[in-house]
Amino acid sequence: MGITALAPRPAGVLARAADWGNGYWVMTRWHLASLRIWLAVLAVIQVLAGGGSVLAVALFFRRMPASAALFMATGVPVINLIMAGILLGPQLVAEQKLQDSYEFFLTLPVARAAAAAAWYTVCLITGIPAAVFALILAEARYGIPLSVSAAIVPASLLTAFTGTMLGYALGHAIPSPMLTYLLTQVLLFGVFGFTPVVFPARQLPGWLAGLNWWLPFGHMAVIVRAGLTTAAGGGIASSYLIVALWGLAGALAAGWAVGRRR
Amino acid sequence: MNVPAAAGTGTPPWFSPRPGIGYWFSSFTSMIRFDFAQARQWAAMMVFVQVMLGAGMSVVYGFFYPHLTPAAALYIATGTPTLALIPLGFSLIPNSVCQQKLAGTFEFIWSLPVPRSAQGASAFLLYTLLALPGMVLALVVSAVRYHIRLSPSPEIVPAALLCALMAISVGFGMAVAIPKPVVTSLITNALSFVVLLFSPIVFPLDQLPGWLAVIQRVLPFYNMAVVIRAGLTHGVVTGLTASFLILLAWTAVGWALTAWVVSRRG
Repeated sequence: MGITALAPRPAGVLARAADWGNGYWVMTRWHLASLRIWLAVLAVIQVLAGGGSVLAVALFFRRMPASAALFMATGVPVINLIMAGILLGPQLVAEQKLQDSYEFFLTLPVARAAAAAAWYTVCLITGIPAAVFALILAEARYGIPLSVSAAIVPASLLTAFTGTMLGYALGHAIPSPMLTYLLTQVLLFGVFGFTPVVFPARQLPGWLAGLNWWLPFGHMAVIVRAGLTTAAGGGIASSYLIVALWGLAGALAAGWAVGRRR
Repeated sequence: MNVPAAAGTGTPPWFSPRPGIGYWFSSFTSMIRFDFAQARQWAAMMVFVQVMLGAGMSVVYGFFYPHLTPAAALYIATGTPTLALIPLGFSLIPNSVCQQKLAGTFEFIWSLPVPRSAQGASAFLLYTLLALPGMVLALVVSAVRYHIRLSPSPEIVPAALLCALMAISVGFGMAVAIPKPVVTSLITNALSFVVLLFSPIVFPLDQLPGWLAVIQRVLPFYNMAVVIRAGLTHGVVTGLTASFLILLAWTAVGWALTAWVVSRRG
């Protein structure tokens, strides 16, 4: 860590930006260094679980419909992009609370937003290899017609951002570590099973499909799928908006949870 | 343990280098009282999570099918107790042991002056009993969801007990054998996920490629589904003996792993 990180907050706008950037860079390196084993383990698990889901979907059917493979192939990358943020993030914070290192991290002389941005970067880096792997595997196994467009870049960035911020809010706002472990797992399971990410919304009961319109996960799948295939439906703009609003809400909730006085 | 030390001697009277079977049983009942008293805090939560996961998964499997046939629905519904048991045994229990390790209570319990085999037996009994209501409730939810009429036979009792004991024994063995709690957490979560994807629990074994079917016959997951489905239906399942034997073998593996870890010196 450079000496600038230990100095008092600088006054000028440029100096503050530099301080912020320095904090971001230091925290990114901190996470990558301290979590190198866990991130590698998580990336491998994501590759296995994501690739596994893609391969396993064929086993459910005697004759698989084409839509089943397409939705699984384009839905798994969404899960991969949000998994580090939604599962590992809160669980790490829970572990810090158990080990009494949580307050220590809050005392680090780094802007909270810089720390959050660093964590977002780390989550994004962790998720991308598995997402790419799942797509390549699906194309090789099922011959799915993928046509990747530039829209995949904002779609992936926004999806990972919203997932990370929701996890960040959960981890910091919930005091009990055990509850955090439970909730994050329930959440990931809920996203996989009860939101139209890895299967079409029309296979859900009507009320559940209606409820999902208000939640971000189905919309994450819409925007990511729109960047990966040509078979995009309408309503992409509203999907972007809903995902962005949830990401903002998560960031605000996390900001409140981290910034409040204890 | 409210036993006063004998006056004048250095060791209390209940401490003897070769404790007999009576001592083991009194330790066992003490540990059961101790474990059950502790379990009051979280048992309801555990059953709740188990029902939500088991019933939830059986509902989710239905979402993957554009058109669900009655035969497929019967397979999903009768696979539900197995679905409810696998996350409990292979994820929740290892993770709760890890929580105990992180919080330091794990070492405290091992330090109690009772044989570790009595502690293990008590934990296995407690978790097995706690696993049963969740299995039944998840099955009820699933049967209602898929409009399935089940015909349970007495076979379901040994089948459910053995499946619960097996899952808990293997899960407990994994938890004590893996030293790092975070590793256990990641491995158990991911493994139970992958296992659930590739195991013919809610669909017939013959939908798997041949090599995978061979592997699944030896692993516990398919065999759990077989013995439980046999206890809930007539004429759907054959070849039960092999499945029961394989489940017994996995139970023994879990016990051997636990015994090996707890008997070596830390």
